This record gives sequence, C-alpha cells and structure tokens, in this order.
Amino acid sequence: MITLNVNGVRHEIQAPDDTPLLYVLRNDLQLIGPQFGCGLAQCGACSVLAEGKEVRSCVMPVAAFANQEITTLEGLPARWAKQKGLSAEEAKSTLHPVQQAWIDQQTPHCGFCQNGMMIKATELLESNPNPTVAQIKEAFTTSGPSPHLCRCGTYKAILEAVQHAATIVAQGR
Amino acid sequence: MATTSPAHANVTGPTLSRREFIRTGGVLVVGFSFIGAKALKANPGRAAAMKNTLDPTLPSSWIEIHPDNTLLIRTGKSDFGQSTTFTAYRQIVADELSVPFEAITTVVAGSTDSTPDGSGAFDFLGQGTPNIRKAAAYTYQALLDLASERLGVPKAQLSVKDGVVSGGGKTISYGDLVKDQQLKLTIPVRGDLTSIMGLMIEGNPPMKPVSQYTVIGKSFKNSVISSKVAAKETWATDVRLPGMVHARMVHPKTLGSTLVSAGPLDKTKFPNSQVIVKGNLVGVVAPTEWEAIQAAEQVAGGTKWTEWKGLPGNAKLHDYLRQEADWASTPVAPGYANKGDAAAALAAAQKKLSATYQFSYMKHAPIGPTMAVADVKSDGTVHIYTHNQNPQALRGEIAMMLRTTPDHVIVHVYPGPGHYGRSNGGNAGAEDEAVLLSQALGKPVRVHWTRADDMKWSTQSPAAFSDVELAVDEKGKLVAYQIDHHMPAMQDDRPIGAVLAGLPTMAAPQPKGDFIASTINRISDPWVYAQTPNVMERGHGTFQVGQQASPLAVGLRDHSMRTPGQFQQNYPRELAINEAAALAGADAIQFRIDHAREERVIGVLKAVREASGWETRPSPRRDAVATGSTAVRGRGVSLMLRSRTYWACVCEIAVTPATGAIVVEKYTIAVDPGIVVNPMQLKRQVEGGAMMGVSHALFEEATFDESGITTSDWISYPIPTMSDLPEIKVVLLNNPQVGTYGGGSEAANALAAPAIASALHDATGKVLRRLPLKPAYVQALLRT
Repeated sequence: MITLNVNGVRHEIQAPDDTPLLYVLRNDLQLIGPQFGCGLAQCGACSVLAEGKEVRSCVMPVAAFANQEITTLEGLPARWAKQKGLSAEEAKSTLHPVQQAWIDQQTPHCGFCQNGMMIKATELLESNPNPTVAQIKEAFTTSGPSPHLCRCGTYKAILEAVQHAATIVAQGR
Repeated sequence: MATTSPAHANVTGPTLSRREFIRTGGVLVVGFSFIGAKALKANPGRAAAMKNTLDPTLPSSWIEIHPDNTLLIRTGKSDFGQSTTFTAYRQIVADELSVPFEAITTVVAGSTDSTPDGSGAFDFLGQGTPNIRKAAAYTYQALLDLASERLGVPKAQLSVKDGVVSGGGKTISYGDLVKDQQLKLTIPVRGDLTSIMGLMIEGNPPMKPVSQYTVIGKSFKNSVISSKVAAKETWATDVRLPGMVHARMVHPKTLGSTLVSAGPLDKTKFPNSQVIVKGNLVGVVAPTEWEAIQAAEQVAGGTKWTEWKGLPGNAKLHDYLRQEADWASTPVAPGYANKGDAAAALAAAQKKLSATYQFSYMKHAPIGPTMAVADVKSDGTVHIYTHNQNPQALRGEIAMMLRTTPDHVIVHVYPGPGHYGRSNGGNAGAEDEAVLLSQALGKPVRVHWTRADDMKWSTQSPAAFSDVELAVDEKGKLVAYQIDHHMPAMQDDRPIGAVLAGLPTMAAPQPKGDFIASTINRISDPWVYAQTPNVMERGHGTFQVGQQASPLAVGLRDHSMRTPGQFQQNYPRELAINEAAALAGADAIQFRIDHAREERVIGVLKAVREASGWETRPSPRRDAVATGSTAVRGRGVSLMLRSRTYWACVCEIAVTPATGAIVVEKYTIAVDPGIVVNPMQLKRQVEGGAMMGVSHALFEEATFDESGITTSDWISYPIPTMSDLPEIKVVLLNNPQVGTYGGGSEAANALAAPAIASALHDATGKVLRRLPLKPAYVQALLRT
C-alpha cells in the first residue's frame, strides 16, 4: 500500500504500484483536473506538481510519489492561500492567481490542455515571479519532458495570462 | 451560472442524478398557435412525437422564463471551445427579448433529451439567424401580446426594458407576466432532427433592429471557462456510472484486415478482464482502467489479422490521385462564378501560369483522444455520455446500428477536447464501440481510445490537388482563371465500430449519395475577384483512397475539418493569385483590390495592409535569395470569404535556405463578420485559429504506408509549441450596417497556408506548391 499526500490530504492507495499516477488521481481520488492527453508524456495535459515540480502523471507510477507532496489543479487555491497565509475562510473563496488570470484573459477554448498549462505557469511563477516573454516561452516549450501542447492554438492567450498572473502575484491580492 | 449539461452525471459518486426538463409550473408554456399553424401542418417537426425528445413546437423547449425573471435557453449546438453558446447566444437572446445578459442564467446545450433542434456544432451564427434568435423573437411577440391583454394597453404602445414591459403608465415584469399564465405560441419548425442540419425554425418573426442592440457588440466572459479552470466542470472524461467497466479496443492491424483470431487473455495476470469479439471488433474490459490498458496490450500481442496492402503510401499519394483514382464516376461540380471563355482566353494569352498545388492529409488531432461511456439498459434504452458535435445525428446512427429507433437512444453531452468537425456528422469514434461492448456485457462501459487509436483509426481531412491555368494581359490584368479541384469524398460518417462489427451503417460515400455522403467535390470557395472576365472553376470528386479495395470498406476515411473543403480550394487559389500578381509585376494586395468589386473584400484588404505596415511592391523582393545559412525574410497575403465573413491575413516569415526551416514572425489578420457580437471572444477565436493555421501550413501531414496510417503520436504528427507563436495582430472590422453576424472560429486556420507559401516566394523567388511547408520539402525546392 502506498501513502499519497495530495492537496494536503493523506490517502492510502490500494492500486498496484505500477499504476500511473493519473489513473489513481482520477479514478480513486476523484481529482479530475489532470486529463489524459497522450499517455506518452508528450503533451502535458496530465501535469501535476510533485514537490513543486511539474511532472507528467500519465507515465509516472504511483509508487514513485510515496510521501511526496502532490498538488493538482484542485489544490491550487489552497496552495496559494497557504503561501499567502490566508485564513481557511478566505481560502475558500480564493482562486490561485493563475486560475484568476486564465479567467480574466479568457484563455481556454476547449480547455482540455489548460490544466497542464496552469500547472506549468504555477511552477514557473513560484521560481520566477516576473518572467520575460522568452522565459515564459522556454518554460512551456523546453523546461519539461515535452512542450505543453494546445491544439486550439491558445498560446498567445496563455502567454498573456501568465503575464497577468505575475501582476496579480506582485500585487499580493 | 449553470452551464452545459444540466444532466449531471455524478462524477464520482455511486448515483446518477438527473433533473426533469419539461416543467410547467410557473414557466412559459404552450397555448394555441401564434403564427405557425399553417406552416406546422405543412411541415410538422418530426421529433414532436418521439420519446426522450423535447417537443420543438413548445416555446419552453427553447426558452424558459422563470417567475424570478431569470431565463434558461436550450440549443442543440454543443460548445467545442468557440464560446458562442455561452456568450453570443445569450447576447442575441438578451437583445431580442430586451433582458440583461445576466438574466440568462442557464444554457442547456447538446444533450438529445434536453435540447430541441439538433444540428452540428458549426456555423453557430450562420445564416444570420440561428434558431435561438428566432425562438426569442417569437417569444418576444407572444410576451407583448400577453402584456397587452394584461395591461389593457395596445401592443404598439408597449415598450420593454430589462425584462419589464411598460405602457399606459403601467408596468409588469416578464416573470410576473408568465406566472400561472400560458403563452399563446407554437414554434413552427421543419427538418429532420437526426440529420446533419437538424430542425430549423420557420417563419420570419419581427427581429430587433440592429440600431437597438444594447448587449450585442459588447465583450462578455464565457462562464464555462470559470468552471473549467477551477476543476469544477464535469467533462465527458469524468463520467463514471455505477457498475461501469473500463475498456480499451484492439483495432485491426491494417485498414483492410479481418480478424483471424483474438489473442488469448492471460487470466493469471488479468483475472478480472474479459475479451469481447463481435465480427472484426475486439475490445478488452476490466473493472479498473490500468488493468484494461495492460490486458488490451497483452491481447493485442496475440491477436491475428489478415494482411492487407491496398493504399498507395503517402510518398506516392499524388501520383495515385493523378493517375489511378477514379474521377470519371462522379459528376463534375461547376463553379458558381463561371463566365466568359477561359479556355479561349488562355489560348490567346502571352503571359501564362500553369501549375498544380498539392494538399496533404491532416488529422483533426484532438488534444485528448476520443472516448465515450455507454449504458445499454435491459429494456433496450441506450444512454451515451460523451463529447459530440452533433448528438442528434449520433442518436440516429446508433439507432441504425442497433436496428431500433432514435427514441431509444439518449446522448448526454459534456465538454471535451475540441476535434474541429470530426463529429459534426454524429460520431468521433468510440461511441458505437462503447454501445456494442455495453450491450454484450449488460453493464455500462467506458471506451477510451489511446493516442495511437485516435491517430490511426479516426477520420482525416482529405488530401487534394488543384490544377490552375491563368493568364495576365500586358496591362497586368488577370484575363483568365481556370481551376480544377480534385478531392476524395470529404465526409464519411459511418461509425467505425459498427463497420468493424458488420452492423448496419449509412452507405460509404458514393457518387449518388446525398449532399453529405457524396463523392461530389462542390465548389466551396466563393470567387471574389469579380473583375476577371473569364473564369472557370470545376470540382472533381472520387472515392476515398482505399475505400473500395478494403475488405472492410474502410480505407482512408475522410471527414470535414475546420474550414472544410474550402481550405483545400482556397489554398491553391490564393497562392495562384499571388503568382498571378508576380507575373503581372504587381503588388499582391493592390492586385487583389484591382480585381475585386465588393466593398467588403476591398475593405478587409486595405485594413490588413494598413495594420501590417505592408510595403507596396511586387514579389519576389528584389534581393530574394534561395541559398545560404542566413535567414531571409518575406511576406505574403491571402483572402477568404466564408459564411458571409471577409478575412485577409499577412504573414511575415524568416526562412533559412540551407535548412529549409520557416519561422512565422508576424501574423496580421483582419476580419469583417458584419456585426461583431462579442469582440473579446472573437479576438481569442481568431488568435487560436491563426495559430492552428501556422500548424497546418508548416507541420501537419498524416503519413501512411500501404496498410494504414503511420502517424501515431505527437512526435510523428507534430503541432506547434509556444515557441512557434508569432506576433499576432487581430483587426476586427465591425460592420453593423450589414445586419448579419458572420463566423469567427473557421477560416482563420486556413488563411495562413497560402500567405506563408507566398512569403516563401517573396523571400526566395521560389514557389513551393505543396503543403505542409516542412523544412525537408522547402530545402529540396530551394536546391532546384
């Protein structure tokens, strides 16, 4: 049995050790933010944060994440609230700046890839709160196992949303 | 607000809760006929009597007005990321009914038992008057009639603001008006609910004049984005039913293989799995997804199929199309703008161009593979939970496959990855397979295709080629233009699982098929250079490649994809017009303006010229160079008229001759749709379409060998990354006097290819007349 720590909650996992994390999150823990895009770590739709680093949950076995701190799209508001020291009550009505920026900029079209885009943006802004355009492009293209792919072509809206999220972070809400 | 599917399968819990849809208490309901009795007798809506189907003649099947003054609207058109149903449709209804945008709190879209009209998720604002607008206009008149009666004030003296009717010093809100009241209204409809076009509302109710719009023209946010980014939306991928099992398919080895024997399942490794075989359809099911995946891989390894080599292979595709394909069995489609005598003018001319332009197969390539959950009940009722662009048509196809009637089939629609037209005729791939497996097991089954299934077993956008002959006179005028478009059938809506299982489907495309399932290649790119004296356009059609040679009648199945057919016709035309301008020694934008007559064509060209900072001069540039390892730059233009929307773009590129690599540096695009309904959403749609256009132009080519598709993942079928993002500049031309809304999510993806190819010509002096403009192809061209 594996113990997973996801979005601040501990879970005892019954699934076989070699089960890719994605299926455990979606089917056992009902965390549906990460999506199945390719099962090959080629697109980024399934991304989650493990110890603050973006990983592809579609290929990584659940056993590799024992005792690691995992954050999914669902956990982004609480992650932000914790970083900002917000009260539990405030946290409930708060979105992560990245999510807020994605709404403000009306970024998604179909939205299927945007989980991974928001996870990547969160990872980026936590290490570099004021990225340049080149650094944003680099983050979404070469920093991970593969580029983050969007078939609807929303890259401009993603780039603008990352910049907008950076201003929200800078304002500290 | 509540969004897409009010049908909310509980994502993860043990029960499935659904709400009742047809309410009467306190809600606008039917009375006697308001306007449509005659029309109804002549063309009764066929769906009216069907079980599990809304009565489209009831106003509440389209719009509910609640006592608290909130509204709910219903549309058969499901959102694929265009945002239209959640933004433009609300804006249109709000203006027709004179209510605030925010009063429309619920949009019910897609699901077959809770929406009235069917049809596909395309051309949302097409024909200028979508059904929902007419439904609102009829409802508005009925509300005024009711208010006139209640207030004792003549209808002509009433006015409405924010859902409150005023007249004769008295006021009443819509909510109070409809409370315990019946509206005297029957919505007149005609059509076939499960056909590709669905039902259409008849008649011409008075519409709100454009000058009185207060909601249309403003930017409103798409409410469904908020729930998606917060992980609060139920996607099709999230649906889990009690007792549901997971399935993976074992598809045939080739596009013409039949099953010899299904591989034995290793029960020691996969004790809970099961193999299901029906004809050539093989599926593996298991209680957990991971077991289903592994068991299917194990079974696939031991499954034996017959061999088949009936395809030309992509290297020989265009030779095959030119020399071997049967173009004679299908009638030639004439152009709509043919005039003069192009052949005689060509024979007499001095400056001529004769060229062939080639277009590759492309995949819709949704970012998530297709999937569906099906639940075939013991009484024969079929529930399908999926992401679909034409759920009513899917309903008809599933009923045909099961030899039953559509009223036994309910399609529940949820958001999913965009697939750009693939299911606009009813199916995307996994739905029928899930139904057959569920029927065999007596349990709900979730079929999720792998990435490779989605690349190899889905339909594709057809390849094409066009032969152009044109001539310019000594004054630089285009005097003759002749184009012969060749394309295999574009729309094969046969569900693949039904084909593999040997069950009933519609016929494969044939010369005598109906409008959709025909091999006829219609002219779909409106001719816009009206001052050309001699024009001849012809469309030549044929069967799908491999269709007739495959024992499964499968072959390379085609399906319309974003800007379908018109992309295959506009690319050769616009690249040829650039070549004609070069032949005439003219500037490519001015050349177009000089040959156009329509004001909106000229307007969009002038707008893109100004916004891009275009330098007026002929192409290629004087210092064009086709060698060396230093990047050289060029620019090109293209133009399209689609769905009453005028588009032009300018692409500026850098190409490195030694490597053939093209980088699109700047992409300026102007669009005149008539009335801009929602500027913010239109701008985002155009940007996304532009980026997809770069992808089509530079990267996309589905490859295949003699047996099947060899493109299988994002390495073998690359699409752009953020590093390929050019500077994109969108110019929206609001043209309210036109009085109609145009389209926004198509055309932008097709504009880039001819503009980029023209930019390559501008930079290097050489023309590559095939897509995509891959480095290897560009490099080979520049070496010649």
